[in-house]
Parts: sequence; structure tokens; C-alpha cells
Amino acid sequence: MPRLTTLIAAPLLLLCAAAAMAATPGPVVKTDQVRAELVAHAPQGLGPGQPMWLGLAIEHQPHWHTYWKNPGDSGLPTTLQWELPAGAAAGEIAWPTPQRLPIGPLVNYGYEGRLLLPVPLTLPADFKAETLAVRLHAEWLVCKEVCIPESGEFALTLNTRSTLAAHAAAFDAAAARRPAELAGVRSAGEVAPGALVVRVDGLPASWHGKALQFFPETAGVIENAAPPAASWQAGTWTARVPLSSQRSAGPDRVAAVLTAPGGANGVQIAFAVAGTWPALDAVPALPEPSAAPAAPAPAGPALGLAAALLLALVGGALLNLMPCVFPVLSLKVLGFANHANDRRALVAGGLAYTAGVVVSFVALAGVLLLLRAGGEQLGWGFQLQSPAVIATLAALFTLIGLNLTGVFEFGSVLPSGLASLRARHPLVDSALTGVLAVAVASPCTAPFMGASLGLAVTLPAGEALAIFAALGLGMALPYLAICVWPALVRVLPRPGAWMAHFRAAMAFPMFATVVWLIWVFGQQTGIDAVAALLSTLVALAFVAWALAAPGVAPKARAVLGTLAVATLVAALSWMVPVLATPAIAGARSDAPAAGSPWQPWSVEKVAELRAAGQPVFVDFTAAWCVTCQFNKRTTLADPAVLADFEARGVVLLRADWTRRDAAITAELTRLGRSGVPVYVIYAPGSGAPQVLSEILSVADVRNALAKL
Amino acid sequence: MKTHRILSSALVFGAAFVVSTAALAVASVGQAAPAFTATDTSGKTVSLADYKGKHVVLEWVNPGCPYVRKHYDSANMPGTQKDATGQGVVWLAVNSTNTGAYDYMPPAKLAGWMKDKGGAPTATLMDTDGKVGRAYGARTTPHMYVIDPNGKLVYAGAIDSKATSNPADIKTATNYVKQAVGESVAGKPVSTPVTQAYGCSVKYSD
Repeated sequence: MPRLTTLIAAPLLLLCAAAAMAATPGPVVKTDQVRAELVAHAPQGLGPGQPMWLGLAIEHQPHWHTYWKNPGDSGLPTTLQWELPAGAAAGEIAWPTPQRLPIGPLVNYGYEGRLLLPVPLTLPADFKAETLAVRLHAEWLVCKEVCIPESGEFALTLNTRSTLAAHAAAFDAAAARRPAELAGVRSAGEVAPGALVVRVDGLPASWHGKALQFFPETAGVIENAAPPAASWQAGTWTARVPLSSQRSAGPDRVAAVLTAPGGANGVQIAFAVAGTWPALDAVPALPEPSAAPAAPAPAGPALGLAAALLLALVGGALLNLMPCVFPVLSLKVLGFANHANDRRALVAGGLAYTAGVVVSFVALAGVLLLLRAGGEQLGWGFQLQSPAVIATLAALFTLIGLNLTGVFEFGSVLPSGLASLRARHPLVDSALTGVLAVAVASPCTAPFMGASLGLAVTLPAGEALAIFAALGLGMALPYLAICVWPALVRVLPRPGAWMAHFRAAMAFPMFATVVWLIWVFGQQTGIDAVAALLSTLVALAFVAWALAAPGVAPKARAVLGTLAVATLVAALSWMVPVLATPAIAGARSDAPAAGSPWQPWSVEKVAELRAAGQPVFVDFTAAWCVTCQFNKRTTLADPAVLADFEARGVVLLRADWTRRDAAITAELTRLGRSGVPVYVIYAPGSGAPQVLSEILSVADVRNALAKL
Repeated sequence: MKTHRILSSALVFGAAFVVSTAALAVASVGQAAPAFTATDTSGKTVSLADYKGKHVVLEWVNPGCPYVRKHYDSANMPGTQKDATGQGVVWLAVNSTNTGAYDYMPPAKLAGWMKDKGGAPTATLMDTDGKVGRAYGARTTPHMYVIDPNGKLVYAGAIDSKATSNPADIKTATNYVKQAVGESVAGKPVSTPVTQAYGCSVKYSD
């Protein structure tokens, strides 16, 4: 193999050459692969404002090549480092149009044969010297089969008194090979799944219908070896350029060169990229949920409308059993006792409550649908994903609790007109209680409600609203029933002194609810925000007491009131900015503690574990979801359940939806749900995941595990 | 559901995939690393599946390439290997150079070269037919990959951030592999998951 000797000799020779050059660099560096020469071009002479070029002329040995600014799958671009007198400057390389250089399954972009890399030269306005000394350190990688990194030191002294045109032909040829910047060319590009879609019009007529090459100036974006799928339509070239499966860049702006077959010089294009690049380690886009097979929930999206309405009705009724509705219902029990003897008032109150519930459900659903339409990745329970909403609810429940304990009376704080309106219109009061019940109940998705909601948000708006109305009706139904059959009411104790005690006692569930809300708020924000919120609540209590406590003299009320309002303003001015600052990163109620068997959920993780044949259990949860927290602390903490999980090698994943999370919302949608809790078991090998009941019993989980 | 569908489509189109291996239809970061089985320089069969539950680094190597020599002669690659294997990481050097290439090294010679350079990979694999290289889309020597214990590809790209042949640049460059291994072993996401590999072309068989 004669080449072997050349190979061994080449670096040695190069070393000797380089050593020799280092002593007295000249304009030419020769290696076994290239002859490189520093050249200059100034057809009108050297001087400020004149067209002047420096350049490195490279003559490659046959089949050897050096690289373009984007070398393609391997290789490195040639680099030039200039050393010029003060004030003189060399610009960027004006790269000639590259060639595609396929090597096996790879493609490089570069040059063979004769090449000139021109660089514009500028001189300062006061330049008057007779000579211009130019020094250059150049590095290039020259490859055939073998690659050899080479470098050279070049020096050239130019006479400024004469024109320089000895290399005019080479510079003219290089200029001709530069990608043309044509005035009529317009280009646009957009990120699509797996491809960059490029659209160019105004290209030369002779190019129409031809297969063009696309050379992006940024490396690591496209699959260099894969030809773009292109088409011509009325003079517009549209191409889907495949993206690299190991893409390392996502430029906002793409500059590229297009070439037509047979033509040496290309056309320069540049465009801002529309759309967003996926993360570099993002898994390629999931198939659309609509394309996925029917969700596995027993009552999934395949549910008919009538069945869904019925389920919504039953689910709504079951909402009354949810812990978060309980305090509000207690309020209504008071109402029963008050009106036990007035059947008309009872029925009317029941209807008003029903109306309040249904209207709120429909209104919330309407907002949800509108936001969905706006592209927001939201799901049911979203109201409680906002700390501001939680803080407002905490304030509301504090005030209700204070009112129940008798710290202040609404009658004295409301303007007399409004107070008498409320007194004269108990119906308004009932309706508002209904609204409150819905606000509190919404995050607790009872069984069936999940399926109905999942269906509802994917339905046309009219049908979706009907389902939400059915949910509301279902929730109000038990109360309405009692109103219609007063016999049920008579079972309740007679009104009496106990009512005052009962009313005060009801304050404590309210305060307990405040504790829960503050806990949720703390998960979303941080300890500082919690302190701010608690201060606000204290100030609020102060204001309520100062302004509306019975039996306070007007003068004292004025003084105390001013003081209280000032306190509240101070507390609010602390809390509002805290709320506005972004939440602390990683504030999660369910962040796995060290040693916890639970791992954070991700779509990829589930796919991997399933691909590896592992059974997987996923707990979709949120801090603000009481049902979730209850299940987490009972069934999911049950030693027998945990032992079963371990015995069957089930990997436990937890998806925490306390804050907005698009990935979790998307997965819930895929499962046909739009709220939490959702419990899913993926058996190894079996296609459809099994969705368990929201009210998770130990038996449910163990039975499901036994079937694995 | 999704996996199921992927499996069935893989069955249906399996034949087509086998025929079209010439294209670099390849591994992506964030996805499962392609499984492979190859023979190491001592003739032992090595499968990626053998190392399930461990971090695995793949390094494309060819002693004939000046960029590979840059990182071996400077002891950067051996150092990175020892650093990784010291953390319980499996390091597989893969040579996809075809037997007809001028710088092809037979297994024994490659093993000897590796030893001389102080290289300390867990194994050095012969991939003369380029199957492993093509499955991973390895373009250059060196071209580096990091696989996490779940078999997910978490890094693909260059050994470091300075794409030059000058060993002096190693000191000031960011060693992406060290970084990816460190982050992944610590259970953190890899901050730079994909970079543009640099070096000589992998000399694949036709």
C-alpha cells in the first residue's frame, strides 16, 4: 500500500514545512493534499473606500476536499485569522457555493479542485502607508477517505502604489461562484413535525421544475443525507426538508443556499423560522388524541350523549358526598330548619339553589370551553390552579366563618338597601349559596363526573353545556327533593336556641376549609406568600370586626375602622407583589421524598417502562383535590396495597397537577378525563390501561393488581 | 396504547425497515436507545441489554482519525472513560470502520492500541458492518452517546465544545460527555442533550 507511506510521511513533511514556514512565512503553504496561497485583489489600487479583497486560494489534490461553513455530517470549516496593521480590517469569508460530497451514508458540504475563499478588506480613511503587511493563520481540514487537519502561516506585503490584479481571474471566478442574492427571491420557512417546510418564489425561470439542493448555513439542523421532498407549483418551490434525528440547533433565522443541477453558483435565501422548534430532546410529536384508539375508561369518550347526561346527573348528586361540599351543605341545613313550616318558601328556595348551581356549572363550563378554544391547556379544576383564586376563596371562607361565630353581622356591613334586599329576597341568598357550592365542589371529581367532563370538553359547545347543566342539576337534586317532600324536612330538629350554637359550630368547618386552602396556596407559592396571605386574613378579620361588630360606638368604630383598613392595605401591599412573583420552582406537594417509591410521571417514562415490560401504576393528583389527598393518605398508603405493588414489581408514578401542566392535561384528555383524581394501571403487554375508581378502595387496587 | 400501536405497525412494516437500513433512520435523544449486539475485541458477545439498569456511554472510535488521536494522545478520552466507569457507568467504544478502509484495525491491534493509550472502556466493540453505527446515526469519530438506566438516549453529539484538532483547546472546552454523565447519574435532566459531533467521517462499509 503505497498510500500508507504517504500517510506516515505527510504529517512529518507537514511538520517540517510548518517549522520552515514559522521562520519565514511566505504567501504559499504546500502540503501533500493542498497548495494554499494568500492572495490579494485591488483592481483600483489599495486605499480607503476602494474595492479590495484578500483571500486564501486552495488547490486540492484530486479527490481531496475542504469544507464549507456548514461542513455537513462531519468535517470542519476552514478558518482564517488575520493579522493586519492597526485600522485595517478583514471581513467574513464570502463562501462560494458548496458541493454535496457523499461519503457512504453521510453527506458533507465542501469543495474540491480549485477554491478561493475571498475576504473583503477595509482600510482606515487616513491610511497612507506605502506597503501593507498581511499575515494569516489558516486552519483547514482536508479529507478524502482520511482526514488531515492542516494549518499554515502566511505572509504577504502589498505595495499600495500600484493596482493588484494578478489574481483577478481567480477572484472573478470566486465572485461568480458566490450564491446570488436575487432581488425577486422571497423565502419563508416553518417548523413542522420532523421537517422544516421551506417555500421560495422568485427563483430563476430556468430552475422551475428542477430538483434543487438545500444547503443550510447552520450545522446540525437537517438530515443532510436525506433528500428534501420538494414540489414546484406556479413558480414556487416548496420543500419539506427532513430534520436531523439528532438535531443540535434550532435557529430563529435560517440562511441557506439553493442550487440547481449543473449550475455552479447557487441562490442565497434567508428567512425567519415560523413556529417553534421542539426541545432538542423532545420526543417526536404524539399522535393526535383523536387518532388514538378509544380511551380505556369504562365510560370513556365513546359515551353516548344520553348516557353521559344520566351519568352527569348521578355524578352531580354524588358530589354532595364529597368532603369539599360538606361545609356549604351544612349552611343549607340551617336554611331547612328556618323554613321547615313554610313549604312554598322551601320549594322556592330549593329551586333558587338549583338555579344557582346549574347556572354556575354552565358558566364555569362556558369559561372552560372558551379558554380551551383559546388554546389554553387547561382542564377541570383549573380555577384552583391559580393562587389568586385560592387566596380569594380563603378570604371568603374566613369572612363566612367570622360571620357564623358572630364576630360581625352582614346586616351592619351591607348598605341598608342591600341588606333589606337580601332579607326581602331569600331566593337571592339561596341562589348565591348554590353558586358557592359549585365553586367549592368543582375540583372534587366524583366517579362518573370525570368521564362526563372528559366527553364534555371534546363535544360541540351546546352539548357540552347540557352535560354541565345536568351535573349541576344532579348536585342540587337531593336538596330539591327534600324541599318538595317536606316530610323529609320534618325529620330535622325544630328551630331553637341550638341553632345559634349550631351556626357557631359551623364556623369551624369553614376555618378548616381555610386551612386546606392555605395549604394548597402554600404548595403553589411558598412560605413567604403564605405569611402574606395569613396577614391579609388577620387584617380582614380586623376590618370586619371594627366595621361591623355589633354594639360598637360610632366614634370607636371610626377610629378602629381607619386603623383596620390601614392594616388591610398594608397587608395587601405585601401580598399582591408576592403573588405576582413567579412561584418557587419545584413547589410540588407530591415531589417524591427520598426513599419514596413514587417517581415523577412523564409520558416518556410510561412508554419506556411499558416497553421494558414493567407494570405501571399512575396517580394523577393535585394538592387542591381533597379526594386525591384522602386516597393518597389512606388506600395508597395502605401496607397491604404497597406490599402488593412491590410483590408485582409495579412502578409507581405520580403526576402532580397542582399547577398547570400541559403534559398532564393532555394525558388526562387521552384517558378521556379532564380532572383529578385518576388512577391508572398499565399491565405488562396488555394494550389498554385500566382506569380505577376515583374513590379508591384498598379492595379495588388489590383486585386490579391480582389480575396482572 | 401508543406502544401497542407502535409495536403493531413495527410488525406490519418490519420488512420494509429491514430493507431500508441504508438510510440513517436513527436514534433520537429522548427516545429509547436502539438495542444492539456486537462482538468485542476479545471475541466476546456484548449486548446493550446486558447493561439494563446502568448508564451506558457509547464512543465511536477509529485510531486512524486525527480527532480521535487528539483526545487519546492528550489522555482526555481515557480520563473521561475512567471518570465515568468510576461512577459505575458502562463505557463501550465502538469501531464502525469497514475492513477495507486504509485505517481499519483488526480486533487484536485495536485492543493493543487502546491499551497503549491508557484507554479504559468497559469493552471495545467491532462494528465492521456498521449496523450499530447506522442505528445510532454515528457520523464522526469521535461521536458520543449517553444512555440512561431506563435505556433512554439522553445525550448525542461531540465529546466537547471546541471543534478543533488542537489538543490545547481541550482545557478550555466543556466536556459534554462528562457533563451529561454527571447530570444523568445525579438524576438530573441533561442540560445540553444534543450537540454537533465533530471529527472524521465514520468509514462505513458500502
